[in-house]
Parts: sequence; C-alpha cells; structure tokens
Amino acid sequence: MATPRPRLVTIAALLAAAALVVTGCGRDTAGGSDAAAVTVDDSPATGTVTLWAPDGDATKLGEVLAGFRQQNPGLDLQITLVPSDEYNTKLQTAIAAGTTPDIAFLYTEAQTQFLASRAFAPVPDGLVDPGSFFEGSWAAGERDGTAYSVPWYAYTRVLIYRKDLAEAAGVTAPKTWDETVPFFQALQRAGAVHGYGADVGWDTYNGQTLATFAHQAGATLLSADGSSWKIDDPAVIGAAEFNASFFTSGVSSPDTPQFLDSQPYLVSGKTGSMISGPWVVATLDTTAQQEGWTAAHIGTAVLPAGADNDSGQLAGGSWGVNAASANQQAAWKVVRAMAQQDTQVAQYEAAGSMPAVVAAWDDPSIAGQPLLRPFLDQLKNVRPLPAVSTWNEVSTLLGKAMESVARGKESAADAMAAVQKQADSIGTD
Amino acid sequence: MRPRQTATAWLLLTPFAVIFLVFTAVPVVASLAMSLTDIRGIDLRDPFGVDAVGLANYLDLLSDPAFGQAAVNTLYVVVVGVPLTMAAGFALALVLDRGIRRFRGAFRALFYAPVVANIVSVALIWQYAFNQNGTVNTVLAAAGLAGPNWLGDERLAMPVVILLGVWRNFGTAMLLFLAGLQTLPKEVYEAAAIDGAGRWRQLRSITLPLMMPTTLLVSVLLSVFFLQVFDEPYLLTNGGPLGTTESMALFTYHQFGFGNIGTSSAASFLLLIIVAVVSALQFRILRVRT
Repeated sequence: MATPRPRLVTIAALLAAAALVVTGCGRDTAGGSDAAAVTVDDSPATGTVTLWAPDGDATKLGEVLAGFRQQNPGLDLQITLVPSDEYNTKLQTAIAAGTTPDIAFLYTEAQTQFLASRAFAPVPDGLVDPGSFFEGSWAAGERDGTAYSVPWYAYTRVLIYRKDLAEAAGVTAPKTWDETVPFFQALQRAGAVHGYGADVGWDTYNGQTLATFAHQAGATLLSADGSSWKIDDPAVIGAAEFNASFFTSGVSSPDTPQFLDSQPYLVSGKTGSMISGPWVVATLDTTAQQEGWTAAHIGTAVLPAGADNDSGQLAGGSWGVNAASANQQAAWKVVRAMAQQDTQVAQYEAAGSMPAVVAAWDDPSIAGQPLLRPFLDQLKNVRPLPAVSTWNEVSTLLGKAMESVARGKESAADAMAAVQKQADSIGTD
Repeated sequence: MRPRQTATAWLLLTPFAVIFLVFTAVPVVASLAMSLTDIRGIDLRDPFGVDAVGLANYLDLLSDPAFGQAAVNTLYVVVVGVPLTMAAGFALALVLDRGIRRFRGAFRALFYAPVVANIVSVALIWQYAFNQNGTVNTVLAAAGLAGPNWLGDERLAMPVVILLGVWRNFGTAMLLFLAGLQTLPKEVYEAAAIDGAGRWRQLRSITLPLMMPTTLLVSVLLSVFFLQVFDEPYLLTNGGPLGTTESMALFTYHQFGFGNIGTSSAASFLLLIIVAVVSALQFRILRVRT
C-alpha cells in the first residue's frame, strides 16, 4: 500500500493551478465592442473562403453557386458539410478553439447562443435589403438592434392532412383549436388508424411545438424585458393540455410514428395528418412510389387558431461571417450571392429549400404549387422563439415535460411548474 | 540506475510525456479551472472574462434531479452490465479453453468481433431491430406475441442499451479470461482429479481462486468502461424516453451542447472521482483474495 501523500500533493497542485487561472478572470460589465462593419464593394471576390454547413439543404450548394464561382475566378470557396445532428456542437467547439470558418451556417431559430458570443460580424450596411426577407427570418439574426446573420432559407410547419379521407368524412381543415380533435376523429372514421401523427420523443422540437401552441394561446414565454421565464402561466398550461388532448382523446399515440415512420404512416393511412414542413410535400411522391400521389391525396392548411391568434413558427437557415475572418470582404460577397433571388430559386430547385426572400416565392416553380401556398401564408404570420442563449436548454426541458404530460405521468400544471423552477435557475442570458 | 540509463529512459519516455502533456494534462487542468467558473458557450471568445464561483457548479449538480437520475442510470448500467459481461466472457473463455478443440481460432475471432465492430453502424442496426415495427417485434408477432415499443418504453429502453453494452464488451472479458486460464498450472488439476474432485469442484476450488487476479483486472476494466457509458445510449436513444437512459457521460455531453461549459466540466470531474473511487474499492475488496 503506497502512501497517499504524493497523490494529495498532485491534487493540491492541480487545485492551486486552477485557482491561479481562475483569479485571472472576471466578467467585465461594460460589454465588449464589436468589430467595425466592413463595407463591401461590387468587385469580384478573391482569396480563400471556408464555409461550414450541416449536411442537407447545403449538400448541393457547390452546384447552386457554380455560376457565382465562374464570375469570381479568383475565389477559392471551400465548402465543408457537417452531420446535421452535430452541427451546433461542432460550431461551438470551433468558436472555443478559434477555428471558426469564414462563413458558418446558423440555424435561424437557434442562433442566439452563437450571436451572444460575439463570434460573428455585424452585417455590413447596404449588403442586402432587410425588407426582402420574411420579417421573422431577418429579426432572428438581430441582437440589440444589430443584424449578425443573413437569411438563406425559411420554412414553417403547417397542417398536412389526407384530403381524400377528409372528403370522405365530409370535413374541412380545422380553423380553431376546438375544431381540431373532432377533425382528427373524422379522419379516423374515414379509415385512418390515428387521426394525427405526433411525435413526443423528448427533444427540443417537442418543446418548439409546445411553444407554438403557447404563442397561439397568448403566452410570450419570456417577461417583457426578456429577463425571466414565464412558463408556469395559464396560457402555457392550456397549450400543454391542448397538446396532450391529442393523446388522451386517442387521435394520436405517444409511441408512433417515430420520425422516420412519419411519412410512410401518412401514405399507408396509419395516420391521417401531421404538422410538418414543406419537404414533406416534396418527398411524399417518393415515399408513396407513385407520381402524382401527393396531389391526389394531400391537403395543406395554416395552423388552427388558439384563443389569441393563429401564428406559427419560423425556422430555417442563415449565414454568419466570422468576426475574426481574414477575408470578410469575399465572405460577405458569397453570402450576398446566396441571398439573391435567382440563387434562392436555384437552391429551391436543387434541394427543395424554401426561399427566405419573399419575392422568390412568385417564381412559377413555387407559385404553381397550390400545396405550398399555406406555407407562404403561415411564414408571414409567425412569432419568434425566445431569442435568448438558453432557449435550446429550456426547450429541451419543455419537450421532456410535454412527453411526460402526453404519457399521463403528471398534470400539465405540475409539469410546467417544474419547468419554471428549472428555467429560473438556468436564467435567460 | 546509472546516469546513462536514466538519460536513455527519459529519452524513451519523451514522446509519451509530450503527447500526455499536450492532449491530457493541459486539457484536464483547463477543464478543472473551468469547472470552478460560470463559463458558458457565449463566453468562449473571452474565456478569462468569467467569474470564479468556487464549488457552486458541483453543489448545483448534486442537487439537480436530472444529474441524480443520470447517476442512478449509470449505476444501473454498471450493476447489471458488468456482472453479465463477466459471466458471458468467463463462460465463453472456459468453453474455448476446454470444450472446443477444432476451429478454436475461428470461434475466438467470432466472439471478439463485436468489440472491433463499428459501434455506430451496429447501433443503427439495433435501432431498426428494436423499432416498434422492427425485426425483433416481427419475429415476436410470428410467434403470436405483441412486441412492445422497446426503445420508447421507460422500463425497456435501458435493458436494450445494457444488452448492447454487454454484447459489445464480452469479447474483451473473454480474451482476458482466456489468457488467464491458459496460465493455470496443469499439475494442480491432475492432483485434484486423483483426489476425486469433479469438474464443478475443480472449477469452484481451483479455477476461480487462481483466476482472482484476472477477475480483478476484468472487473475494474469493465467498471471503468460502463461507468463512462456514452456510445450506446447516445446512439440508441439519446437519453430518452423521459431521461431513463441518460448516463452521466451523456448528461455531460448534453450540458456542453447547451453551452453550460462550467457545469459540464464539473460533471466530468464528478464522474472521474466516481471512477477512481469504484476502482480503488474493487482493488481493496478483491486484493484480499488474491
């Protein structure tokens, strides 16, 4: 048996070293200053620009930007695709290590934590017209009145349902919360196993769904000055009860469909509807293995209105430029190109990403699809998710609480009171 | 040691020492320092512009029900997973040592395959197999049984996660036990056989006591593996349903993802302390018998 002393000495030395490091710390209350915004001219972009984006919408970005690359022969644009699940963690690690690329993709709805770290440069004045984007897309990239990201694509979730079943049952898409469960029950009478396919897997998306319903009920989730959480609130509890009513009334099952099953279930009639994004409309024909299946079987409608409003939620992708980038000029030129209308349409045709530029929706390739119309209407009627750096964590808690309410483990009031307590200790920024 | 030998020894140690310092010691000290501050993701560009909070992160964790749940989950994995893995490994090692004469090498390779198989692809296959409409339930349905939602059920998800952990690690245990068995002296068994000891008696009175050092090694190794279990729950369930499969390592990873770097550093140190304590305890308990 060795004497424990050497180990104690080691631990003491480590602690002392840590203490030394820590004493050199201290938050400055003044707040750091941003890098001065650059002005971007119209000359061709030159030099090397690195770009990171999650695999998915950006997979064909190289082809979409082929024309831009031809016009800027002096530019070496290096695109790196990262698995989408790991993208935020990887970007956070890169910011910590100081290896952030020149241009980084930012999830429109989850960029606050990155903007708050001041890792990204303010958007130069006059680079793009803020009014050309969906208001919600642009606003998501603003912090304290300054814009730090440029929108790229935008989507929202609407009600996607089996039109043929609704017609057979003689019902039309629900306009209010009260009409929602009866509508799903009607789809079941017409042959769907479950009227509404909901996923209550515990994750941040589940929390986002609840946030949408809470907004519709008139909740804000944050206090007026954004300094504290308002989750233990009648409107939020009502929203959780509404969300749980799908499971208690039997129009949804908490176990299925899992994410990968959601489309096959809709095609086979195991579910009669879902609340999801525009990619579903684009890919259902493939799932059904039948050209024209979607047009014959599917309807889309804006979300049913809660007690207060019928707002939805905006999500999508934006671009930020590294504040420490050595080639900001060229980086902003690439971002500007991606925000142009013809690039936006090319991006839609290549990957199905819905444009963040409103006018691009007038392009015949999009305007000619009646199923996409409700998405456009809903995108103009959205409420922002809480723009605080702790939202991702709180929305995960909300999702977890929602799952336990949906499975009948606890009442909505108890679950929200518990989340309020945890959210209070997490704080807002 | 003569000075020249000392110099040579240091020279030979240098590559390891450099790598250890750069990739282990420095990050460990940095992480320990971070665990004593309120650093978050938004402070990353100015890591020294944070406040020292002493042991507050540690105390918060100890009172956090989610961390408590993660600790209990991890204990569950260790208490069930380690004995199962050891039993499976030991049984197979015995069979390979005594029972199988032909194709011994092929069997050994086959049993060891799960250890070297890529866990990501394996977990994906398991996910499909244990899906509500997956292979396992299809087989059960053919037998007239209604299969449960394995990975969506709070009681069943963890057993599946543990099963994957056992399946992945029994090959390591088997190989170590096999190495141990092959060093046992034959004469002792011959003497025991002459004294009329049967196979079971030999196993109980000779093999198990003589194998104690190996058993100690395997149990410590596996405990350290299973205490740090991350891949299996991360890939199969990401901690769900309702946090029932969130291990301490996964909790730490999620905290990092939320940007709570101080909290996640503190959580990883608590895990380190637990690993150290458990290993020390096992040495203490099993050393008495070796």
